[in-house]
Amino acid sequence: MDSGHALSIIRKQVKPAVVIFFLLTLITGIFYPLLITGIAQVVFPVQSNGNLIVHDGTVVGSALIGQPFVSPGYFWGRPSATSPVPYNAGHSSGSNLGPSNPALTSAMNARVEALHAADPANTLPIPVDLVTASASGLDPDISIAAAYYQVHRIARERNLSEDDVQALVSSNIQSRQFGIFGEPRVNVLMLNLALDDMSTTPVVPSLPIQPESTLPPESGLRIPDWIVLVLFIGVFVVTVVPLGRFMVKVIKGEPHLLSPFSKPLEHRLLAWSQVHADDEMDWKTFTIAMIVFSLIGIIFLFTLQLAQSALPLNPAGVGSPSWDLALNTAVSFVTNTNWQAYAGETGVSYLTQMMGLCVQNFTSAATGMTVLVGLTYGLSRRSSSTIGNFWVLLIRSVMILLPISIILALILVSQGTVQTLQGPVTVPLLDPVWDASGALITTQTLPLGPAASQIAIKQLGVNGGGFFATNSAHPFENPTPFSNFIEIIAILLIPAALCYSFGRMVGAGRKGVSILIAMTLIFMPLLGFAIWAELGGNPAFDRIGIDQVTTDLQPGGNMEGKEVRFGIMSSALFSVVTTSASCGAVNSMHDSFTPLGGFVQLLMMQLGEVVYGGIGSGLYGMLVFVIIAMFIAGLMVGRTPEYLGKKIEPREITIATIIILVPIFLILISTAVAVLVDPGKTAVLNPGPHGFSEILYAFTSASQNNGSAFGGLSANTVFYNLTTAVCMFTGRFGTATLTLALAGSLVVKKIVPAGEGTLSDHRPLFIIWLVFVVIIIGALSFLPALALGPIVEQLMLGGGV
Amino acid sequence: MPHPPKIQSRHPILPAIYQRALIDAVGKLDPRLMIKNPVMFVVEAGSALTTLLWFQALTGNGEDPAGFIGAISAWLWFTVLFANYAEALAEGRGKAQAESLRKMRQDTMAKKLYLGYEIEKGREPSLSDYLEVSSSTLHKTDLFYVKAGDTIPVDGEVVEGIASVNESAITGESAPVIRESGGDRSAVTGGTVILSDWLIIRASANAGEGFLDHMISLIEGAKRQKTPNEVALNILLIGLTAIFLVVCVTLWAFSSYSVKAAGSGMPISVTVLVALLVCLAPTTIGGLLSAIGIAGMDRLIRRNVITTSGRAIEAAGDVDVLLLDKTGTITLGNRQAVDLILVDGMKMLDLAETAQLASLADETPEGRSIVVLVKEKYGLRGRTVRATESGTGMQFVPFSSQTRISGVDFGDVHIRKGAADVMFKHIEMNGNHVSDALRKVVDTISLAGGTPLVVTKNGMALGVVHLKDIVKGGIRERFSQLRKMGIKTVMITGDNRLTAATIAAEAGVDGFLAEATPESKLNLIRDYQTGGRMVAMTGDGTNDAPALAQADVAVAMNTGTQPAREAANMIDLDSNPTKLIEIVEIGKQLLMTRGALTTFSIANDLAKYFVIIPAAFITTYPALSALNILGLHNAILSAVIFNALIIVALIPLALHGVTYRPMTAEVALRNNIVIYGIGGIVAPFIGIKVIDMVLVIMGVG
Repeated sequence: MDSGHALSIIRKQVKPAVVIFFLLTLITGIFYPLLITGIAQVVFPVQSNGNLIVHDGTVVGSALIGQPFVSPGYFWGRPSATSPVPYNAGHSSGSNLGPSNPALTSAMNARVEALHAADPANTLPIPVDLVTASASGLDPDISIAAAYYQVHRIARERNLSEDDVQALVSSNIQSRQFGIFGEPRVNVLMLNLALDDMSTTPVVPSLPIQPESTLPPESGLRIPDWIVLVLFIGVFVVTVVPLGRFMVKVIKGEPHLLSPFSKPLEHRLLAWSQVHADDEMDWKTFTIAMIVFSLIGIIFLFTLQLAQSALPLNPAGVGSPSWDLALNTAVSFVTNTNWQAYAGETGVSYLTQMMGLCVQNFTSAATGMTVLVGLTYGLSRRSSSTIGNFWVLLIRSVMILLPISIILALILVSQGTVQTLQGPVTVPLLDPVWDASGALITTQTLPLGPAASQIAIKQLGVNGGGFFATNSAHPFENPTPFSNFIEIIAILLIPAALCYSFGRMVGAGRKGVSILIAMTLIFMPLLGFAIWAELGGNPAFDRIGIDQVTTDLQPGGNMEGKEVRFGIMSSALFSVVTTSASCGAVNSMHDSFTPLGGFVQLLMMQLGEVVYGGIGSGLYGMLVFVIIAMFIAGLMVGRTPEYLGKKIEPREITIATIIILVPIFLILISTAVAVLVDPGKTAVLNPGPHGFSEILYAFTSASQNNGSAFGGLSANTVFYNLTTAVCMFTGRFGTATLTLALAGSLVVKKIVPAGEGTLSDHRPLFIIWLVFVVIIIGALSFLPALALGPIVEQLMLGGGV
Repeated sequence: MPHPPKIQSRHPILPAIYQRALIDAVGKLDPRLMIKNPVMFVVEAGSALTTLLWFQALTGNGEDPAGFIGAISAWLWFTVLFANYAEALAEGRGKAQAESLRKMRQDTMAKKLYLGYEIEKGREPSLSDYLEVSSSTLHKTDLFYVKAGDTIPVDGEVVEGIASVNESAITGESAPVIRESGGDRSAVTGGTVILSDWLIIRASANAGEGFLDHMISLIEGAKRQKTPNEVALNILLIGLTAIFLVVCVTLWAFSSYSVKAAGSGMPISVTVLVALLVCLAPTTIGGLLSAIGIAGMDRLIRRNVITTSGRAIEAAGDVDVLLLDKTGTITLGNRQAVDLILVDGMKMLDLAETAQLASLADETPEGRSIVVLVKEKYGLRGRTVRATESGTGMQFVPFSSQTRISGVDFGDVHIRKGAADVMFKHIEMNGNHVSDALRKVVDTISLAGGTPLVVTKNGMALGVVHLKDIVKGGIRERFSQLRKMGIKTVMITGDNRLTAATIAAEAGVDGFLAEATPESKLNLIRDYQTGGRMVAMTGDGTNDAPALAQADVAVAMNTGTQPAREAANMIDLDSNPTKLIEIVEIGKQLLMTRGALTTFSIANDLAKYFVIIPAAFITTYPALSALNILGLHNAILSAVIFNALIIVALIPLALHGVTYRPMTAEVALRNNIVIYGIGGIVAPFIGIKVIDMVLVIMGVG
C-alpha cells in the first residue's frame, strides 16, 4: 500500500468516525445516563440519592457511609485511612499498606493498644476488622464480633448493663442479604444512633447469637460462601448459551428480541454517517477505521477534561486536571484500561463522567468486540479478503451493551448506588473529630452523581474505571453484598458468552465452549488459591494477638483494605475476576492483599489477560495462544499445524509471536526503567519487595489494559502518567492491529476439512494443552520478576523476617 | 519385490565421520555462520561475553570468582559446540553418501552423434557417426551413443535400441534393468553402466545438472532450503529467545532495585544472567533444529527416495489423500487373461484368433497375456498372424489411454478390443446392436472383480476376454493403518466402475477412480485440492505426468518415463509404489521430532527457574532459599551443564526421529505431551540434581 493510497483510505474513514463518535456520545453519554437518572429518581428516590437517614426530621448521615467515632462512649467503626481526617467522604481511600509493611504492623499495634487503653479489663481476642483499615475508608459496618467486643466498654462508659448493650447490638445486626450474600454485620452509625436513643427507648432483650457450629472455624469458607460460589458458576452455565446466541444474532444483523428498537437506530446511524452496511473492509481499512475512531475518542476526552471546570454539570466544582493526567485518563479509557490515576470525587465533573468516561466505557468495549469479530471472520471465511465492516460491528456491539447496561444500572440503583445530577450533600457528624491541624470537623460531605449508569457499563464493558476513587469498594458505588455479586457477574457475563458466540460463528458452539473451559481451568485453581491466602490472614497480625479466624460472627482473614459487607470470599473473588477479565474495578485494595493474593492478581494479568479477558480482547488474545498451541501440537502429531481448518504458516506464527511479545516487553522493560530512575522509585509507598510489586503491578495493569492498581503507588505524576499511557496505547492498539493483520492473513486461506488426522479443536486434550501453553508462556516470562516481588514477600512474611 | 540393499549398507558410517564432525563443529563457530541460527548465536555471544568476564576475573576484578566464571564460560562454549556437532554429524552422514556418488560422476568420454544423424530403427551407429567428446560438453537434446561397457554420461531418454543397464550405483539394486526406446522404460540416468547391447540417447539435462548432480547437492545439504514449518518454528524460537533476553536484561534492573530495597546482597552478576539466559533459551531444539531437517532428508535417501525439496517431505506428512495406481500397487503385477467367453453364437476359434490379432500390437501386459492364453488354450501360434501379415498390409491401432481401444486393420477387416463401455459405443457406431447376452457376460465378469475386454470384428461382437486382478496380500491392513492416520486412499484404474468397485472393496481402499484418463486424474486431484486437501500420487507413465505435476506430493518411479520423473517432486529409486506410505511416515516423523523437542525444551525451563532463581538472589533475599527444593550446592553450574549435556543426549533422537506409529492425531498428541511435556518438566530436576551431586563428589563448590 503506497502512502497516497493509505492517506485516501484514512481520509475516507474520518467522516464516519466523527459522525458515529458524536452520535454514540449522544446515545451513551447523554440519553443513557439521563434515562437511568429519570427512572431512578422516580422509582428509587431514597436509594438513588444516597440512602440518607432522617432522624427526628433532620438528615443525620447516610446509611451507607460510615462516620468517624473516637469517643469511648460510641461504638468505634473501622480504622479509616482517608485524609486529612478519617471518614472523609470527599476523598475515599484505603491505607494501601502492604502486608509486610512495618508501618502496617505498628499501626495495628497502636490500634490494639488504643482498644486496650479504652477498656483495659477486656481480654477478648480483638476481631481483625476492628483494627484494619477498610478499602474505602468509609466502611459503614463492623462485624458482629467487633461490636460485641466493644459492649463492655460502652456499658461502662454509658452506665448501661452489658446485657442491654448486647441486646442492642443483636437487634441491630444486619444478616446476610437474602440469607447468603456477604457478611452478617452491624452498621456503626445506626447502632450509635440507637445507642443515643437508648435512654428514651427501652431495649427489647434478645440473646446474643452464637457461632453456628456447622463447620469447624478453621475450614474458612462457610456454607453461604459455598452457595455464592456455586451460584457464581451457575449464572454462567445458564447465561453463556442464550447470551452467546443473542450476540451472534446482533453481530450478524439477524432479527432478535430487540431488533424493533436497535435496527432502525442502526440504519439511522449508518445513513447519517454514510456507511453502507455491506461495505466489507480488508484488515488494513478495518484497522485504520479503528485507529481513527479511537484517536478521535482520545482527543475528545482529553479536551473535555481540560475544559470541564468551565463546562456545565459540575456541581461539585472540580477543577481541570493537569495535561498529563488528562492524557493518561483519555488514553486509559479509550484503550479499555481505565487506569485510575484520577480520583473521581475530586477530579472529574459529572459531564466528563457522562459524556467522556461513560461513552468510552461503551465504545472501547465495543471496539474490542469488533476486533474479535474480525478475527472470527478471518478464521471462518474461506478464501476471502474482507473481515467485516468496522462501523457496522461497532454500532452493533454498542447495541449489545446498551440494553444490558440499562438493566444492570437499575439493579444497582435499587441497591443504593447513587444516580442523580445533584451536587454533594453535607451531613452532620454524630461524633465530631479534630483534624491534624486541631480544627473541629463537624460535618461530612457525601459525593453524589450519576454513578449507577456509569458503573453498570464499567463492569459490563470490563472497563473498571470507578466513579469514585476507591471504585467498587466505595459504598455509593457498590452498596450491598448483592450489588457486589451483580458487579462480579457483570464483569464476566460478556467475555464468557462471547466464547460461545465465537464457537457458533466458526461452526460449532463447542469449539468456543472448549476455550471457555480452558480459561476456567486456569481461573478456578487461582481463585481457590487467592481465597485460601486471604482467609489465612496476615501472619504478622497473629503475632500481636489479633483474631483472624473466620466465623459466623466475623469475616476474619486479611481484612486490611477490605469492606466488612463483602468479607473475604467476595473480596478475593472480585479481585480474581477483575484481574482475570481485564476489568480493573476493585472492591478491596489489592495493595493490601497477602503476597500470595497479590501474586494471583499479577499472574492473572501477566498470563496475557486471556483468561476471560476484556470484551473481545480476552478471546482474541486467547485465540493467539490457541494458534501457538495448535502449532506446537500440530508438529507433535506430524502434520502442518492448522486451526479450524486454517493452516498455520510462518506469517501467522510471526504475527502471533509478536502479539505475545508486545505486552511482555512493555511490562518488563517499563518496570525495569521505573525501578532504575528516581521518578519511578519515589512513587512507591511500601518498602521491600512489596514496593517492587507496586511498580510491576502498575505496568502489568497498564500494558494488559486491566486498570486495577496497587494503589500505594503515587501514579499521578508526569512520569507514570506518560509511561503508563504509552504502555496502555501500545498494549491495546499494537496487539489489536496485529490481531487484525492475523485475521487478514487467515481469511485468504482455504479451509482444510477435518479428518482423522486433524487435531481436535475442542476435546479435553486440546483444552489441557492450551492451558499448559498459556501457563508456561506466562510463567516463563514473569517468574523471575514475581520471585522478587510477591513470592519472596510471602516467604519473608511466613518466616517472620 | 525384493528389498534392495540400502545406501547405508554400502557406506557404513565410519568413526571417521564422528571425528570429522568434531572438526566441523569448531569451524561452525564462525559468527557469520552462527547468525543463521539466532538461538545458538545468542548462546555463542553469551559464551564470548563470559570468556571476557573470565579474563577480567583473572585480573582480580571479577563480579564472581574466576573459577566459577571460567566453568560457566567453558560449558557455554560446550553448549554451542554440541549443537554444532549435531549439525555436522547429520551433514557428515550425507557427505559420505555424496562422496560415493561423486565418484561415479567423474568425467567420462561420450560418443556424441553428429548433428543431423538420422535415427534408423535397429541400426547401430558406426564409428563415422559420432565423435568422442568429454561428457562435460554435452548439452540438453544432444544425441549420443553408448554400448556395452560404457558409462552413460548424462541423464537422457532412449530414442533407439534396447540394452541392459546396471543402475546399482543409484538404486543399490544389483540386478540389471532393461532400458529401451518408447514406453515407460526409456529414461536413463547419468553414471549408470550399459551391460549389454547399445542405445542412442537424447540428453535430457546439461552436463552437471543431471539427476546425480542434483542428488549429490541435495545430500550434501548445499541447496537445503528451510521448509515453511521449519521457518515458522524458527520464528517462534526466536520470539521465545527474545522474551528470555528481555527477562534477563530487565532482571538486572529488578535485582539492583531489590538489593537497595532489602539493603543486602549484590545485584545479579552478568555471568549468572548469561547462564540464566542460555538455560532458558530453547537451546535444545534450537541446537538440534537443522540436524533434524538434514537427518530427515537423509532418512528418505536411505529408503532410496530422492526428493527435489525438503518442502515435499513435509508436505508428505500433511497428505490427506493418497492416489494409488491399482496396478502394481494394490494388485499383484498385471491383470491376466484367464478365459474367453463367446457371445451371440460366434465360433470359439474365430474369437480366439481375433483376440490374438487384436493383441499383437498391444504391448501392455494384458495384451501379451491374451496372446499367451490363446496360444496355450487354443493352440494358435503367431504363424497365423505372419501368414496374414504377408498377405495384406496390416495396420495396428495401438492402445491409447484416451480411446482405451486397440486393434488391427487389414484389408476391410477391422478388429478391435477394449473396455466394455467404449466397445459398446464402437459396436453401436457401426450400426450394430449390443445384445443382452453380451451385457450379461460383461456384467458377470465385472461383478466378480474381473475385467471384461470385448472383442469385435468389423463392429460385431465376437466375445469377451476375461482379465483378472489379484489383490496383494497385507495391503488391506496397510490401508487401515493409513485410515487411522487420517489418510484416505483412492485407487486409480482404467477399469470400469463395477470392476473397480469390486477390487476397491477387496483391497479396502476408501474410494476409487474408474475409467481413469489423464484428464479425469487431474480433475480428481484438483477437486480434492479445492476442498483443501493435500494429495499425494505415484505414477510412472507419461500419461501420469499432468496429474503428478498437480499433486502436492508426487512420487515418480525411477523406471518411469522422463516426463513423469520431471513432473514429480520425488523419485523412488526402487520403483516401489507402496513407498509413498513410508514417505508419509518420514514426513510426519520429521515434524513430530521438531514438535517434541520444542515441547521438551520449553518444559525444561520451569525446573531451571527453580534451580537458578534461589541461587541468584540468595544474598539479597535469603528467604528465597525455600525455593531451592533440590538442595543444590552448585545450582547455576549444574543447570548450565545439564543444558549442554541434554543436547548431546538428544542427538540420537534428532537423527533417528521420534518413533512413529500409525495412530490418530489425538493419541499421538497425548503420548508426546506425556513423554516430552511432562517428561520435559521432570527430567531436568533429576538431571540437575545428579550433576550437582557429581560436582559435590568431585569437590566443586
